[in-house]
Amino acid sequence: MLRFLTFRLLQFPLILAIIYLATFLLAWVAPGSPFEKERKLPAQTKAYLEEKFHATSATAFLAYYPAKVLTTGDFGPSLNYPEFTVNDILRKSLPVSVTLGLVAVAIALVGGVLIGTLAAVKRDGPLDWLSLSVALIGVSVPSFVAAAMLLTAFSFNLKWFPLGGWPSGAEQSLASADTPERSTAYASGKPQLQDALDHPDKYFEFTPTRDRIGTVTGFEISERDGVKIDELIAATGFDWNQLFDHPNTYFRLRTEWWLSAWKYFQSICMPAIALSLLPMAYITRLTRVSMIDVLASDYVRTARAKGLSRPAVVFRHCLRNALLPVLSFLGPAAATTLTGSFVVEKVFNIPGMGDYFVRSVLNRDQTLILGTVMIYSFFLLSLNLFVDVMYSVIDPRIQLTQGKA
Amino acid sequence: MSEAVINVAAAQVTPDVIEHPIRRALSQPRIIAGGGVLLLIFGLCLITLPWTLSSSSQIFYDSQDFSRSLARPVSDSPLLWFGTDQLGRPLVGRCLIGGAISLAVGAAAATISIVLGVSVGLIAGYRGGWVDSLLMRSVDIFYGLPYVLLIILFKVALEKPIQHLLNDNNIAANLIVLFLAIGLVSWLTMARVVRGQVLSLRSQPFIEAARALGLPEKRIFFKHLLPNLVGPITVYATLTIPQAILQESFLSFLGIGVNAPMATWGSLAADGLAPALNPIVSRWWLLLFPCVLLAITLLSLNFLGDGLRDLFDPKRDAAKI
Amino acid sequence: MEKRSSYSSLIAVALIALSLLNSPAAAARKAGFRFINRGEVNTLDPNRMSWMQDIRIGYALWEGLYALDPDTLDPVPGAAVKIDVSEDKTVYTFHLRPEGKWSNGDTVTSADFVFAWRRMLEEPGDYTYLFYYIKGAQDYEKAFTSNPAMADFKTVGIEAPDATTLVVRLSHPVTFLADLCAFPPFFPLNEKSMQPFKQTDKTGRVSYGGEFIRPPNLITNGPFKLVSWTLKVGQRLEANPFYWDAKNVKVKSIEAVSVDDNLLAYQKYDQGEVDWLAEPTGEIAAEMKKAGRKDIHVFPSFGTYFYSINCQPKLPGDRVNPMADARVRQALAMSIDKQPIVDNVTRLEEPITSQYIPASSFPKYKAPPGLPKDFAKAQELLAAAGYPGGKGFPKLTLLFNTEGDHKPIAEYIRKQWADHLGINVELEGVEIKQFSQRLHNKDYDIARASWYGDYNDVSTFTDKFKSDSLNNDAGWINPKYDELLKQADVETDVQKRLDILAEAEAILLKEAPLIPLYHYVNKYAFRDNVQGIPLNPRNMVVFKKITAGRGN
Repeated sequence: MLRFLTFRLLQFPLILAIIYLATFLLAWVAPGSPFEKERKLPAQTKAYLEEKFHATSATAFLAYYPAKVLTTGDFGPSLNYPEFTVNDILRKSLPVSVTLGLVAVAIALVGGVLIGTLAAVKRDGPLDWLSLSVALIGVSVPSFVAAAMLLTAFSFNLKWFPLGGWPSGAEQSLASADTPERSTAYASGKPQLQDALDHPDKYFEFTPTRDRIGTVTGFEISERDGVKIDELIAATGFDWNQLFDHPNTYFRLRTEWWLSAWKYFQSICMPAIALSLLPMAYITRLTRVSMIDVLASDYVRTARAKGLSRPAVVFRHCLRNALLPVLSFLGPAAATTLTGSFVVEKVFNIPGMGDYFVRSVLNRDQTLILGTVMIYSFFLLSLNLFVDVMYSVIDPRIQLTQGKA
Repeated sequence: MSEAVINVAAAQVTPDVIEHPIRRALSQPRIIAGGGVLLLIFGLCLITLPWTLSSSSQIFYDSQDFSRSLARPVSDSPLLWFGTDQLGRPLVGRCLIGGAISLAVGAAAATISIVLGVSVGLIAGYRGGWVDSLLMRSVDIFYGLPYVLLIILFKVALEKPIQHLLNDNNIAANLIVLFLAIGLVSWLTMARVVRGQVLSLRSQPFIEAARALGLPEKRIFFKHLLPNLVGPITVYATLTIPQAILQESFLSFLGIGVNAPMATWGSLAADGLAPALNPIVSRWWLLLFPCVLLAITLLSLNFLGDGLRDLFDPKRDAAKI
Repeated sequence: MEKRSSYSSLIAVALIALSLLNSPAAAARKAGFRFINRGEVNTLDPNRMSWMQDIRIGYALWEGLYALDPDTLDPVPGAAVKIDVSEDKTVYTFHLRPEGKWSNGDTVTSADFVFAWRRMLEEPGDYTYLFYYIKGAQDYEKAFTSNPAMADFKTVGIEAPDATTLVVRLSHPVTFLADLCAFPPFFPLNEKSMQPFKQTDKTGRVSYGGEFIRPPNLITNGPFKLVSWTLKVGQRLEANPFYWDAKNVKVKSIEAVSVDDNLLAYQKYDQGEVDWLAEPTGEIAAEMKKAGRKDIHVFPSFGTYFYSINCQPKLPGDRVNPMADARVRQALAMSIDKQPIVDNVTRLEEPITSQYIPASSFPKYKAPPGLPKDFAKAQELLAAAGYPGGKGFPKLTLLFNTEGDHKPIAEYIRKQWADHLGINVELEGVEIKQFSQRLHNKDYDIARASWYGDYNDVSTFTDKFKSDSLNNDAGWINPKYDELLKQADVETDVQKRLDILAEAEAILLKEAPLIPLYHYVNKYAFRDNVQGIPLNPRNMVVFKKITAGRGN
């Protein structure tokens, strides 16, 4: 096993390198230039841009970018969005896609196992057919249809969920900061001032400032309409301009975690369900088949003969064993869900990686293509390795070690 | 040991398919239902081809008439049964020909996936060693490459040569290129599955016996391994078809699917999405009919696949407890 | 059901944990004006801006020598308060507004303009060719490309004698210089703020890293400043306190929302999440119009939809080109009934046309008639060219890109030619990058095309078909046409010039390297609470006059 593992791990970088090269060549050969738009670009501009981005020839590209990737892990600027680097884009979109994918796979797992077990236990009955049909919606309807219909029905017509998007939430609020200045101001005993420090929303509005990838770095504060500073200064004797000029000494942004979680839940619900339909279909079928196999085996007969009730038998003995093939499928399932999230991300306007994956190809954005492909390949290879290892763990008869059988 | 003994030993491990396969098949409700529906739908699509393809017939797939543009479905004249699209073309005709093309896409993908996937999986699983490594890592690499890019490039690379081959019959060339492109990315799972099965078969005594006997590899492949693989191959081939059809619909959604004015159910669904979900006036028929046909067909294919899998399962009778 | 409950609690914990890890960025209160821009903003570098959505934001952030009038979109003095023009109309002296300031408080000086315009020549961008009207600019660009050290900027007709004066010398009079000066490539740039990002390569060429355009580094001189820019989410702009006209800026904050899916964009607008939907799809706009809704505004746009015909002697693949013969092209143009396209496919009542230039945008321009719809004449012409009844006509391919309405239009026109001329044209739909490349490389037989004007002058349309024009995708060469355009270039009388151009267009329409189909329309969706959006064909807005009635 160890030999097998080290052998495969050594192959990792080689495969990644080959994928990088192959993808680059494919993207290079594909007709269309990343810089060209609907109007023809003047020759000097094209030449200049190609030189600036080291894209004059295949060798120029390969001389510059792979070295950067290997040394600093920097995939370079995006050719289509020149002000953003590929790393910026990936850093922001990868967590989104991973979150979405994991939740979708979790839903698929739970739903699929339930329905598959039900179908296996009540085999060939009407419940079998019905539950299978429901689960198989994922493979019988194109994903863009399912996603669009979910969006329209639940978000637009019923208004149960927000209209797509990913929370960049309004779930932060202004709270008092625990600084000496604040304490002094509070201790001065002026009721309006204390009120402002306790309930800032009554007096102020804030705008967060963000960095290059959109993370909040601070905030700007302004008075609400109707808050008259001069009157406040006169009434309290405290220079309220201080609160505006040095907001950080008096206030901070507070994340309400439960509000954030709720916002996340709301935004993630529909897209995750839409994305889960396809893997759920497969998991349902897999569970059903392996459950049937397990239910027919001798030890189950023994358990029943011993007098155990049906549910006990099913859940305590069968599920664990029946789930093994499902687990080995989980690897490819997670992989395809991650790579296949383009449609859901487009329809629900989610800034995830699946969208960039396809869009970069359609834009011939070579650096972004390579960045996304590398990330995906890394995941895929890891998952495949995991699955192969699981195969041998599950079935000891399978020998994975190299050499002729 | 003679080969006969090997065969007997093999028979004890392999399912009893040789005996009365048809009768067995017909006793499976899934196979009947799935297969039946499929036969019905595809049969219909194929039979009506002479009409959907002839420009003089009522249900010609490209008969444009603006006076009946975006008409709702009515029951009087056959061409309005499914309504019409923006250009006044009868959706009935377009759905029928769409079915024929979708079927072709699926069948082609399944064929390529069998031929390519089985060969690669067989050789990789049986030989082991560096051959296995090489082949499976190639499969890994293929998995890693961006699918959309591959499709675009296949189309671009293969379009012109195939056109020349077919004497400039562009419509046929476009379809063939589409079949090839989708098929060439569908074989990967089959290769994996076959390899897995071969790995577990390889360690079975009857295979070891065959090797001990010194039987030539080809013989082992064709006489001993393949018959035992028929089950999974059939099942996965049947399951590749719906996958391929859905993949074509994804390509149509992106705009790189089948060429106009040809249609597939996928492209009809993609085109019909916007009009059907139009929040002000919904042209629901443009989405409903292609999707229903698609759903029924794909469900039948999946049931058929399930049924076939049950068929090749020796333990199925004992499953009821 | 232990497994199930443990699963769900696991999910709950994971969700919460994830929500804490992916600490959400706050998007405070609702901005004063929210709109969905045409698409994702690709770049905000004035050097490279060419997409409509980029330019729209650009106009909010910067102000050029001229700005746009909020209602007519005509150029009005912006950063320049007084402009002197020489007798022969080739020397323009701009006197800058002394109170003009950058968003960091710096004063806007003429050096800022010189820096930016020089950058356009040294770091070529999409619209560098517009600078060729300036004396010595094209030569300088060439010289700089070959040897940066040797090129002498003093040969270029751009001078800044002092901090508030800019002198520009043109090689010949340009009647629409004011429009050009309002256009983004001519915006000034704050060199000081860009210094930290300066990069010099080994040949001595200078470029600036993209970070200078990202907040908080970006310094602009227009009514708004850029506060945040997140890909696939949008941009947030806030009023620039240092802008010289800040007290007249009606709205305090703007949010440009990025939505890729058309259906979702409409849904967001409908539920009130945005105030203005800059371009609903034709599908939805047509239905809104038909339903009599008051919040959809459809009006003529500054562009034309047409089919471009490859006029070169040979078609790609070394085939004989039947359309090299003008009669074939005329037959193709005259055998289409265009009205059903706008009635049934696009359904926005666009004006069908047999002209190329949208005459409604140029009141003084008298557009020539163009080829009428005449099936009998078309068949005659085709027969005269050697293909009676379409017999013997080689198979051609009609190229279009698969995004949008192009497919049904192509399917319809194919049928028209089959019905009225008896010829068989096949359709080829490819995605946009492939399409653009093939169109520009003249690798097509007939292709769908469109052209929008860049500035408010007829030449923005007529220049496209000059023999040596970069954008002459048809490969059409006509010496008389070129001659007329050259004449118009030097003609100083406005009306005479327009008449010469009309003569040129007459030749263009007769020779038919293009088949005009209809003039575009713009479609905006906004409700009564929004004021200040001009319904102007140029499809631009002046954000400082817009308000959504919310007071911020």
